[in-house]
Amino acid sequence: MINIYQPQKVKVISVVKESVDTRLLRLSFVDRKTQKSFSYLPGQFMQIGLSNWGECPISICSSPSNSEKFFELSVRDVGNLTHKLNSLKKGDEVYVRGPYGNGFDTGLFKNQELLLIGGGCGFIPLRPLIKDVISDKLKVKSLKIFYGCLNEDTLLFKKELAGWNRKSELSTILEKPTKKWAGEKGMVTDLFKTRKVSPDSVVVMVGPPIMYRFVIKELKKKKIKDKNIYLSLENRMYCGVGVCQHCAIGPYYVCKDGPVFCYRDIKKYM
Amino acid sequence: MKQDELNKFLKSLKKEYFLFAPKVDGQNSVISEVNDIKAIDWSGKMPKNSWKKIFLPARENMFDLNKDFKGASGQHPMVAAVGMNIVDFKALTLFDLVFSKDVYYNRRRKNTLTVGLSVNGPNDYKKYKVFSHNYEENILEHIKFDIFLMKKRGGSYRVYSGSQKGKNILNELKIKDYEHIEFAGAISEQGPDKKMLELKKKMEKSKDRAIWGQLNDICIACGKCSIVCPTCFCFDIEDSSDLNNNTRSRKWGNCFYNDFSKVAGGHKPLDTVSKKIFFWYYHKFVRTPHEYQIPGCVGCGRCSKVCPVGIKINEVLKKI
Repeated sequence: MINIYQPQKVKVISVVKESVDTRLLRLSFVDRKTQKSFSYLPGQFMQIGLSNWGECPISICSSPSNSEKFFELSVRDVGNLTHKLNSLKKGDEVYVRGPYGNGFDTGLFKNQELLLIGGGCGFIPLRPLIKDVISDKLKVKSLKIFYGCLNEDTLLFKKELAGWNRKSELSTILEKPTKKWAGEKGMVTDLFKTRKVSPDSVVVMVGPPIMYRFVIKELKKKKIKDKNIYLSLENRMYCGVGVCQHCAIGPYYVCKDGPVFCYRDIKKYM
Repeated sequence: MKQDELNKFLKSLKKEYFLFAPKVDGQNSVISEVNDIKAIDWSGKMPKNSWKKIFLPARENMFDLNKDFKGASGQHPMVAAVGMNIVDFKALTLFDLVFSKDVYYNRRRKNTLTVGLSVNGPNDYKKYKVFSHNYEENILEHIKFDIFLMKKRGGSYRVYSGSQKGKNILNELKIKDYEHIEFAGAISEQGPDKKMLELKKKMEKSKDRAIWGQLNDICIACGKCSIVCPTCFCFDIEDSSDLNNNTRSRKWGNCFYNDFSKVAGGHKPLDTVSKKIFFWYYHKFVRTPHEYQIPGCVGCGRCSKVCPVGIKINEVLKKI
């Protein structure tokens, strides 16, 4: 019988300091066969851990098109384990299990006016979707990206943002920028005041629970239907396979039935 | 089978197995290890604690961290759980489904022999005032047991086998007078329990009921109900070390405890007592029926007995 809790060893191929508190880790399974047969969907997550430090769920932020070579996780330093993970160097070894969760059903976004809304490190799981649109792997009618962040220091994927803007309409807004910031200042919801958002848009949002509450209000003003709103939830979890109960929300489990939910299905439990 | 024959049977079981059974402890019946067979409580009274520690220990090693996440060894003790009642078997049937893919559970389960007990017929669960659902007439077909003892009015026992393992043991000990019952699945032929479905519907619509606010003021979130509950199986996974060991282990979780839902950064979906208790009821009466089509509460009433502030589950269910 396979042990569903067995972690596999992965090697750190590279580390990029994405922001003041976030590292982008490129990882590859030490066992080559495992890496070769590894596949995942945008929006899925891994349990990453270290001996004596436990495990935590982290969204995969690379595009699945490179899945047989490597995968990437962006880890924000918010606790004991993630602090430790932020100190990893090239060549270090860590342990993972997964991928877990349903991921985004990208078929639903095909030929749609796609609006991606990310708040803070919630922006991370949107990256594989953006990459797939940019590389034409996922064909959409149009792509708008709303990215809200605290300040320049915490802004993620800085080197990639300009490239994304060429093929999409990317709006970045900072809550508390320095004086040097030439862009917009405010909350991610402020972008709705100046941007045109079609009522037929399909929306994917990822961010803290409080962001959802305010963004949904704006989406309702724009007459976007519940069935066209998707969001990804982050709950405490241990097992990753819908047993331990920590991540339960209503009749669902974030780890198994989520983390991506259609707002129509989940709204009464939020 | 007469009582002295039964004692003889248990004595020979004891050679191979660690025996666990209900024992009289003051006014209570408490499940614990048995050294003297005479100490077993055959009254059929609902024990204060549940059997779950036999199948899901409060803490169990999963991996040896000193050995590169080598899985903990499969050496599980042979345990005979003697005197499990009908509702406890219902809980075990649920565990079998929940942990069907869990290597640790299955190893342990394989080394466990279950011996059921019912006093004056399988209808004896009625004396526990089971409130959450109706049990079928042919209940023994819908629970998974190895051997089942039905105590008759005269004090002798009718013996049933429910598995090949049970049969083998009975045959080995030359007990011939028994009937075999084939497990027909956890759900009865008539489909999922109607009372369970009714309760599920009510629970789903109960979010705004006054009862949750009232419980918020009474319940002290001590979590004792979860600890005694035979179906509460939440767990945490934790790395820990001492002088000799360095392990990743699984330990009982408790949805009443403060960090149950807390995530890094401090956000906590279950941030009030009323949300916690709602979560507990929702798991038993909605989530479990939704996933497995069987009730998440077997109606044993242990939670009501142990609650320090007198919350009675059957009273709560009337108000949802």
